[in-house]
Amino acid sequence: MALFPIIGRFDGDFVPHLVAVDTEDSMDQIAEKVAVHAVGRRMPVNADADGYEVLLDDRVLDGGQTLAALMGETPVPPLQWFDVRWKT
Amino acid sequence: MALLNRDDWYDIARDVDWSFSYVDRDEAFPEAWVGANGIPPEAWEDWEEPFRVSYRDYVKVQREKETGVGAIRDAMIRADLYAHLDPGHRASSHLHMGTTCMVEQMAVTMQSRFCRFAPSPKWRSLGVFGMLDEIRHAQLDLRFSHDLLKDEPRFDWCQKAFHTNEWGVIAVRNFFDDVMLNAGCIEAALATSLTVEHGFTNMQFVALASDAMEAGDINFSNLLSSIQTDEARHAQVGFPTLDVVIKHDPARAQRIIDVAFWRAFRLFQTLTGTAMDYYTPVEKRKMSFKEFMLEWIVKHHERILRDYGLKLPWYWDKFLLALDHGHHALHIGTWFWRPTLFWKPNGGISPAERRWLNEKYPSWDDSWGVLWDQIIENIRAGRMDKTLPETLPALCNLTQLPLGSAIDRHHLGKQQVEYEGRVYHFDSDVSRWVFELDPARYAGHMNVVDRFIAGQIQPMNLEGGLNWMGLTPDVMGDDAYDYRWARDEAEQPLQAAE
Ligand SMILES: [Fe+2]
Ligand SMILES: [Fe+2]
Repeated sequence: MALFPIIGRFDGDFVPHLVAVDTEDSMDQIAEKVAVHAVGRRMPVNADADGYEVLLDDRVLDGGQTLAALMGETPVPPLQWFDVRWKT
Repeated sequence: MALLNRDDWYDIARDVDWSFSYVDRDEAFPEAWVGANGIPPEAWEDWEEPFRVSYRDYVKVQREKETGVGAIRDAMIRADLYAHLDPGHRASSHLHMGTTCMVEQMAVTMQSRFCRFAPSPKWRSLGVFGMLDEIRHAQLDLRFSHDLLKDEPRFDWCQKAFHTNEWGVIAVRNFFDDVMLNAGCIEAALATSLTVEHGFTNMQFVALASDAMEAGDINFSNLLSSIQTDEARHAQVGFPTLDVVIKHDPARAQRIIDVAFWRAFRLFQTLTGTAMDYYTPVEKRKMSFKEFMLEWIVKHHERILRDYGLKLPWYWDKFLLALDHGHHALHIGTWFWRPTLFWKPNGGISPAERRWLNEKYPSWDDSWGVLWDQIIENIRAGRMDKTLPETLPALCNLTQLPLGSAIDRHHLGKQQVEYEGRVYHFDSDVSRWVFELDPARYAGHMNVVDRFIAGQIQPMNLEGGLNWMGLTPDVMGDDAYDYRWARDEAEQPLQAAE
């Protein structure tokens, strides 16, 4: 359990945000934490989508995987850029 | 006693130099201050200024200018002009005073360094006039703002802004700290005098003066025009400096100018792009920001590069793309984070304004309109909390402006590098290129996100951030027209619904 800063960009919005996540958050939870700054603020809700997905360097991450588990596989420095998009 | 004609003594008087006997030349003119970078001292004998101004001439002309500004100021204060100005135009004047006055003051220091450390005596002589000019500019801004303090607390930021951590001010301060105060004389002349002053602000003051006149702000317009006449003169020290540097080190000249042009442009988008295309009432707009840039800044810059045998910057296509988008990004961004401003931005997306934007920027609706649609829907539904931010935008480690603010949402992508164990982000590959040219120069400077993560901002929320930025309720930004442009359904059919 540790707060961890990332840069979260929601696909289709114009600006990425500083987002505080937890290392125990799953990718689905991280997606929510990023999306809240864009969806319903500048991005309309997409009723056809089946939630969100998180990408690191264009690779879609498993929604159930935690950030801590991801860090076990690959280096994730503070302020790493993640993309979040609608899952369709 | 008859006075000598100026031409009888001018060439000797302006070119008085020392032959050093107690110190070496290098001690009197340290490299860190001159920044000659290997150009030999003799090379500067070719440095030639075109002005041929004596102190007597200078004082006479400046005195006339001051009399002119003073007369209009007195008349306008008596007429209570400010009370009758459009809120959008007022925002432009708050923005200008807060972000410019202390840059004028910094320019005094830059010019005084020219007076002492410039490698040519002719340049040092001319520096005296530049220094006096810049003192006048800072004083004019302060006096203008002081007069209006009783009407508007935001004019306090004329002096206050640079002593706060307001994020936009940090971006401006960081750039001018670097190219005015930290650079040696030669880089300062190429980056500041030639690129920023001659290339950008000289023309900006003409445009801003004309917009101010249109808006009925005769006092502000007149002040800007008066300042511009000085600027047009003292910015000229860039050209003879470029002549010398081109002869000895053309690659360095190209690099300094390319870096300065991009960085100056990014600030120009922030300060002038938003004011021209959104704050100025639509019926008063003569040119779009892009048209103004192409006509007055781009042509001029291309001509200078050509005349001196330099190349267009490698990033020219990217610059032209940024010209289509960057200031729209900065507008929606500054408006959305409006509590972090010390002026009141005009949202400015009424049907008439929207038509104008799409006419001037055919892809505007696709890039920006869809985002504003959601904002407008929220305003109408009374969901004002959704029109405000809950976190910080990610910021560029070069320009200190938001990531995404150089282009539009279709071109946004990661520009992330690791340097000495930490991650840096950039608003474009151009800013990244600047950083990578000299990472040691830029890497230590913390942007607001870095400071937030370092725990300098407490409590770690928006309220803590606003407090840290010095934003008190009397100046904090809100919509200039109280959201009128968005509220009326009849006035504002949503594009998406059409
Ligand atoms: Fe000035
Ligand atoms: Fe100047």
